[in-house]
Amino acid sequence: MTFVLSNPWLHGLVFGAVLVSVLMALVAFITWFERKLAGRIQSRLGPTMVGPFGLLQPIADAVKAMQKDFIVPKDADRFLFWLAPPLTIAFALATAAVIPFSKDVLAANLDVGVLYALAFSGLLAFPTWVAGWASNNKYALLGGMRMVAQGISYEIPMVMAALVPVTLAGTLSMQGIVEYQVASGWIIATPVGAAAGLLFLTTALAEGNRIPFDIPEAESELVAGPTTEYNAIGWSIFAASEYAHSVITAAIVSALFLGGWDGWWNLPPLLWMVAKTGFVFLIVTWVRWSLLRFRSDQLMALCWKYLVPGALLLVLIAGIQVSVRG
Amino acid sequence: MLGQIGFGVVAVMLLFTAFRVVTARNLVHTVLWLGLALAVTAVVYVMLGAHFLAAIQIILYTGGVLTLMLFGVMLTHRDEGFVAVQNPSGRYVAGGLLAVSVFAMLAAAIVRTPSLPATPAPPVSTEALGAAFLTEQVLAFEVLSLLLLVAAVGAIVMARRRDAGEEGESQGAVLPERKVLPLRQPQPDAESAPVAARASGGDA
Repeated sequence: MTFVLSNPWLHGLVFGAVLVSVLMALVAFITWFERKLAGRIQSRLGPTMVGPFGLLQPIADAVKAMQKDFIVPKDADRFLFWLAPPLTIAFALATAAVIPFSKDVLAANLDVGVLYALAFSGLLAFPTWVAGWASNNKYALLGGMRMVAQGISYEIPMVMAALVPVTLAGTLSMQGIVEYQVASGWIIATPVGAAAGLLFLTTALAEGNRIPFDIPEAESELVAGPTTEYNAIGWSIFAASEYAHSVITAAIVSALFLGGWDGWWNLPPLLWMVAKTGFVFLIVTWVRWSLLRFRSDQLMALCWKYLVPGALLLVLIAGIQVSVRG
Repeated sequence: MLGQIGFGVVAVMLLFTAFRVVTARNLVHTVLWLGLALAVTAVVYVMLGAHFLAAIQIILYTGGVLTLMLFGVMLTHRDEGFVAVQNPSGRYVAGGLLAVSVFAMLAAAIVRTPSLPATPAPPVSTEALGAAFLTEQVLAFEVLSLLLLVAAVGAIVMARRRDAGEEGESQGAVLPERKVLPLRQPQPDAESAPVAARASGGDA
């Protein structure tokens, strides 16, 4: 065990494999959780038929998707059409490498962990666009174009909001930011931190293509956006990576703003991290099933007229706070 | 030893992707190969211990490729099949000479440079990098910021529609002013009234 942990190659390999397996298993049951919650919000029951409380529904869905024929449209760019789903899930899962789950449970403690997470989160628009373009379908392409426009706009306030905990903690390492919060209080407890957290969560919803920012998908106008032509396992991979991205974003919010694995009552730190991530994911899901979709111009106005100036102001306040503190 | 093999693999990948950037026949494929080449460059930075630079390379360059892809779509027609990148001037001799001379210049510079140690330099911490930006290199940093600001403002000015009232600008097609709706739009009665009348079957 110690040999595995001390050798960086083995550590990365073992930890990566475990992390990906756990996350993918989690994602399956998170679809169940979301469907149950959505059902309750809309006064219905959600899945009930397969297994106790419908718990085996995700497995049934996955088996069904795998049995189906993966159809590639005749005029599609075959290679890119094949490439887009695995690329999407790879980018979504890559972000998980820098999330600290406890003092030692961490795949890679990078000096530039926050930047790494933001880089892969921002790149997620890339395979989505490739899917839209390769499909050779006008709705898919329109969805892909919207995804890129939205992604590159919302990346700016997102990076700036993440800069607030970075400035306060004085480090770009995720573990370093959590350790700062263990020592001097959670970032959400300060006014500037709370505002930045809210701003980060908002931009993360837009980056992850979630309601109320799911304009690229917009099923009432674009069928299903970039995934219009995908069926069977290809579509399932897109759906899974959307959930994986949501969960990982919730974990990043917990680590940057909610104190990460810090907690009370001597409970294991891992449990605290999972609980906080679950809480943030609950909020995200709640928002999804309560709000309506924005229009394109509202989306851009919100970003450039409110979020970007607001984020700049927060960075300024955090900078002043740090320089006063000395 | 392992490091040298790793570098060899990465270098071959970098050369191959760069080669595909110029030989791919489809503009979108070209841009995707470019994105891959830039990402592989980030791997080189990681191998040299420059983690900050690698992260920035991914965010700015590989991310910037996304924007290039939009140009790729806007400038080509997918339905015409693969777009052959044309060379309308056909100056292969002049182009070849230029390429050879640039190569000769770079090769001369590489040959004359005293060989550097093969081991990576001690990594510079991100703190030291940030401090250097705001102390020693502050002039260059500010000048670059100003340059970017000018570029951003210039782009907005060029992209803005010309006002119909401006003189001497009416030769170009003047697009009608688009009505941009506010975030919270009050519902004017004048617009909803006829709809209501039609819905109720009124013969207004």
